[in-house]
Amino acid sequence: MDLTLIALRKLGSLLATLVIMSALIFILVEIMPGDVAQIILGQSATQEAVEALREARGLNDSLVVRYGRWIGNILKGDLGESVYMRGVSINSILWRRVGHSLVLAFAAFVIFVPLSLFFGVLAAVRENTLTDSVISFFGLATMALPEFVSGVFLITLFSVKLKWLPIVSVIPIGETLFSNLHIVLLPALSITFVMFGYVSRMQRSSMVHVLNSDYIRSAILKGMPKGYVIFQHALKNALLPSITIIGMNMGWLFGGLVVVETLFGFPGMGSLLMTAIKTRDVPLIEACVLIITIIYSVSTMVTDMLYSILDPRIRYQGGQL
Amino acid sequence: MSYFVFQLKRNPLAIIGIAILLLWIIIAIFAPVITQYTYTEMQPEKQLVAPGEANHLLGTDELGRDLFARIVYGSRSILTVALLTSLLSTILGVLFGFTAGYFGGRVDALFLRAMDILMAIPPLVLSMVVLGILGDSSIGSLTLIVSIAFIPATARVSRGVLLGEKELEYVSSARLRGENHLYIMFVEILPNTVGPIIVEATARFAYSIMMVASLGFLGVGLQPPTPDWGMMVIENKPVITEAPWAVLFPSLAIASLVIAISIFSDFISKVFTHEQ
Repeated sequence: MDLTLIALRKLGSLLATLVIMSALIFILVEIMPGDVAQIILGQSATQEAVEALREARGLNDSLVVRYGRWIGNILKGDLGESVYMRGVSINSILWRRVGHSLVLAFAAFVIFVPLSLFFGVLAAVRENTLTDSVISFFGLATMALPEFVSGVFLITLFSVKLKWLPIVSVIPIGETLFSNLHIVLLPALSITFVMFGYVSRMQRSSMVHVLNSDYIRSAILKGMPKGYVIFQHALKNALLPSITIIGMNMGWLFGGLVVVETLFGFPGMGSLLMTAIKTRDVPLIEACVLIITIIYSVSTMVTDMLYSILDPRIRYQGGQL
Repeated sequence: MSYFVFQLKRNPLAIIGIAILLLWIIIAIFAPVITQYTYTEMQPEKQLVAPGEANHLLGTDELGRDLFARIVYGSRSILTVALLTSLLSTILGVLFGFTAGYFGGRVDALFLRAMDILMAIPPLVLSMVVLGILGDSSIGSLTLIVSIAFIPATARVSRGVLLGEKELEYVSSARLRGENHLYIMFVEILPNTVGPIIVEATARFAYSIMMVASLGFLGVGLQPPTPDWGMMVIENKPVITEAPWAVLFPSLAIASLVIAISIFSDFISKVFTHEQ
């Protein structure tokens, strides 16, 4: 099957998912208890004033009409206005936050991918030795730790005891994230823990499997250097499952972002979503969840594609995993 | 059972894991016997007492509440919710996964489509938005919503194991006998798939702890005055430089429980895969 065809098909199903998902997000948030007009005007507002505002914002229209209007505006690039921060357009706050979160996710990615692949391979090569047991146990332990717990351990060590890094990751007013890159380090490390567990364990087991296969044994028996066999022959084949695991766990990574950003007060979209939920800011919740869904779905799609490119067997079976 | 004990004897790590898990269960059950303090009692004159001082084993928090008592009582809610969640999400997963896999065709296609949509949003984000919107989480709502967020994972596993059994002879002979679909799914097939389903349920238990703790940390879990380990961490974060213990102990409680359950579930999965 042709790669472009697979890409088109995946894109189609992605769009369908997004349409249904956006409708679900919209319905879910709209049925939430509490009247937006009442929230804007406060509890002391008169019934007439609330009614007038409802009418003015079109809140009295049917759900379908409001959904249509919302989607229409989004397609025009207008995400609406925040209710809590009165009159501030969501476009002016959200995108900067999305950028920060992507920097954080990218930093975590750059740390955990090489580390977990390296230690996974090391554990497999030293199968059933002390090195293997230590790496495997560390992976098992970190895999289960919620991000804020590993974050607390890191803060206690690096901020409270050693005082090397700040306890909170705030950007001073008037400065940008890039002039304060050190604040990314602890949050990024906290996310890394969980992913390290998953990926290193997967890498270890697929590497063990490959190292025990006949073609590796014959390569070693015919006298090829062991390092060459491990990196040129075995690693290539043993990487596939790890790539899937990395892709499948992007969801945890995004969930982890919300937790870690809340712990460190990092100005990303996760902490923005958290604030939106606490202040019952309906349009902002909708916008944040939509953006997270889009980024998450696209990253899942990219993993699928990468997998088909790397493993021709899947391509020929029609791109289905 | 004897095989279980045989495996356990060869695996000291699993013994430690199971021991820690049992210890937490005992602590949860006998909470009032273990601590003399209650989890709500505030002693304004005893704010941020250091561990071991003034008769407070783990110290106190900013409101002068005994941390040991709050951690001991906090084990009750997290264990209850996580246990119920792993049960309910496994049951829902089996129901959906079995139905989809058994009937196949359109039912299966519809199921896969629905799972794709549910999976388009990270489980933690989904639970936190829904719980945040509903407000006032209870054990019931927390269990239900986290279980729904877990359905794609549990249902896929169940569907997978059912597909492995479906074409076997005992299933076709049951069909020829004229048994109905429900009987074939749950009386014939289910007992043969118990192994992988138990493995999935124990793994789910660890995920549930992680999820429930994170939701508590985000403030959308069980509401005060119920003591919640995750919430204790974020409550005391502002005083981390003066009183690191107030943040560290609840974190250690979560870590010890979740790592113990991971070790346990890893062991269970090894036992069941070796058996086959």
